[in-house]
Amino acid sequence: MSLAQASVTARVHSATRVIDWRNLPVMIVLGIGAIFMLLPFLWMFATSMRPASEAYQLPPSFLPTRLNFDAYAAVLDSPLPFLRMYLNSFIVAAATTIGVVVSSAMAAFAFSRLRFPGSSLLFGLLLVGLMVPHALVVIPLFYGMAAAGLLDSLWSLILPGLASPLAIFMMRQFMEGQPREYEEAAFIDGASYWTIFWRISLPQMGPPIAALSIIVFTSSWNNFLLPLIFVRKFEVMTLPVGLLGLSDSFGALSLSVIMAAVTMCVLPLLVVFLVAQRFIVESIASTGIKR
Amino acid sequence: MATLRQRETLAAYGFLAPAYLIYLLFLAIPMVASLLLSVLEVDRLTLATQFVGWANFDWVLTDPRFWKTFGNTFYFIALAVVGNVGLGLGLAVLLDRNIPGPLLYLFRLAYFLPVLVSLAFVSFIWRFMFSFDLGAINYYIRMLGLPPVGWLTDKNVAMFSIVIIDVWKNVGFFVIILLAALQGVPRNLMEAARIDGASPFTALRRIKLPYIAPVILFCVTYATIGGLQVFDSIKIITDGGPGDSTRSVVMYMFSEAFSAGELGTGAASALTLLVVIAIVTAIQLTLGRRFAGR
Repeated sequence: MSLAQASVTARVHSATRVIDWRNLPVMIVLGIGAIFMLLPFLWMFATSMRPASEAYQLPPSFLPTRLNFDAYAAVLDSPLPFLRMYLNSFIVAAATTIGVVVSSAMAAFAFSRLRFPGSSLLFGLLLVGLMVPHALVVIPLFYGMAAAGLLDSLWSLILPGLASPLAIFMMRQFMEGQPREYEEAAFIDGASYWTIFWRISLPQMGPPIAALSIIVFTSSWNNFLLPLIFVRKFEVMTLPVGLLGLSDSFGALSLSVIMAAVTMCVLPLLVVFLVAQRFIVESIASTGIKR
Repeated sequence: MATLRQRETLAAYGFLAPAYLIYLLFLAIPMVASLLLSVLEVDRLTLATQFVGWANFDWVLTDPRFWKTFGNTFYFIALAVVGNVGLGLGLAVLLDRNIPGPLLYLFRLAYFLPVLVSLAFVSFIWRFMFSFDLGAINYYIRMLGLPPVGWLTDKNVAMFSIVIIDVWKNVGFFVIILLAALQGVPRNLMEAARIDGASPFTALRRIKLPYIAPVILFCVTYATIGGLQVFDSIKIITDGGPGDSTRSVVMYMFSEAFSAGELGTGAASALTLLVVIAIVTAIQLTLGRRFAGR
């Protein structure tokens, strides 16, 4: 049974059954755990609302006592171009997402709908790519980027992120489960391969594209290693490393300012989660089940 | 006039071209370059190269610092795997009950939100939570009348603190995978166990856990491979300290290649890491096949 079916049955059950009170202890345990999971975020937000002079005061607060956006203003006024770095993060994450989705969907189309010599060899190569740790490729990449004059540019952050064997795997796996009749009919009617891909295959791939987009976008938004190595100038920096610079430039004195910056960095991820939690959860669940 | 067959082949290569061009440029070529680098001595200024054979590996494999970081990494993995998969399985078993929808939504949010958020961001939060004098955690420990803990400053505790952060961040990922596996156990199996008079605990131990064993194995492997590459959190929170007590293999590679400028030894240490990852993967595949063959 796939997770989609499982969650459908779960939904049916919860709709028809009243709350099972024998599970109350379980709910309490899970509830306490959930509160502990959220405490760091609550502390982050509450601290960002404190005036700088009270930021370190104990006891720590987990709920803001009043709304005070001074710290947020201080982040925007900082000597580092915070908004610029925010924009950079968006550009890098969006470009990476579009590039990965388009290239992996095209490759998946070739693997699951077309027959050609070398198909299994090329697919096997991806397996090798899946195992490679980032640590192994960053050293040569650094010198390649330097030779191409791409260091200190957003390209140095976008291009390496486009190589994603995992995305091709995911897309192919999904396409294999889709019916081929429409594509075959279109082919008989004389449609070109590109038309078939663009007009028939791609529109069927909505759910996996949504899931893949979220995964690629968040991992690009969160990437720490690439900007740490490839970028020095804050004008082309992205947030994960930029935040480190911001905290160095403010020193330990302005905890509330740093927490305001962290809050702003986390916010898009929270929005993504609230909008698309079902897609994310189902796509991750499926990676463990499909074999 | 090309035949239909040739047209199909040509189209296929066209569709594969963008993905494989990227793959070639940003994964395959750098990988081969790393292989080459590991047997070269590179002058950091002129980038002039000289073949040195196994010398880089000799240097790395006899460097006590390398083995220290490897030991740290495995210590981290042992704790993180037990924490992530163990706690994840426990939570998944609990979530596998009939829990009302809105509550389930909240639990998902709480347990899964940290997975989405980069360690680069939350590390700042944890750095202050774990702070010795001003941290939230020591505040409550003092309130209980206990001596404060040097979460990040005591070299016997620092790695443990890193693991706490890692489990907090990643456990939700394993909860979701394991929960989906538990919900995939066929209902008729559970029904039969119930009719035969098995208690819920026996049914869990004798039916559900063996049924999802391959998925648990997948989780252990996944956590191990991820743990071998641990970098971001340690870099930001302790930067390998105090002493070298939290320095990981990837940090060793990073400082060799980018701080010391020793590209060859950096590549050699990264390759050693790849070999270890390959071995872990091979063990998983073999074990997995044994499970599947039963």
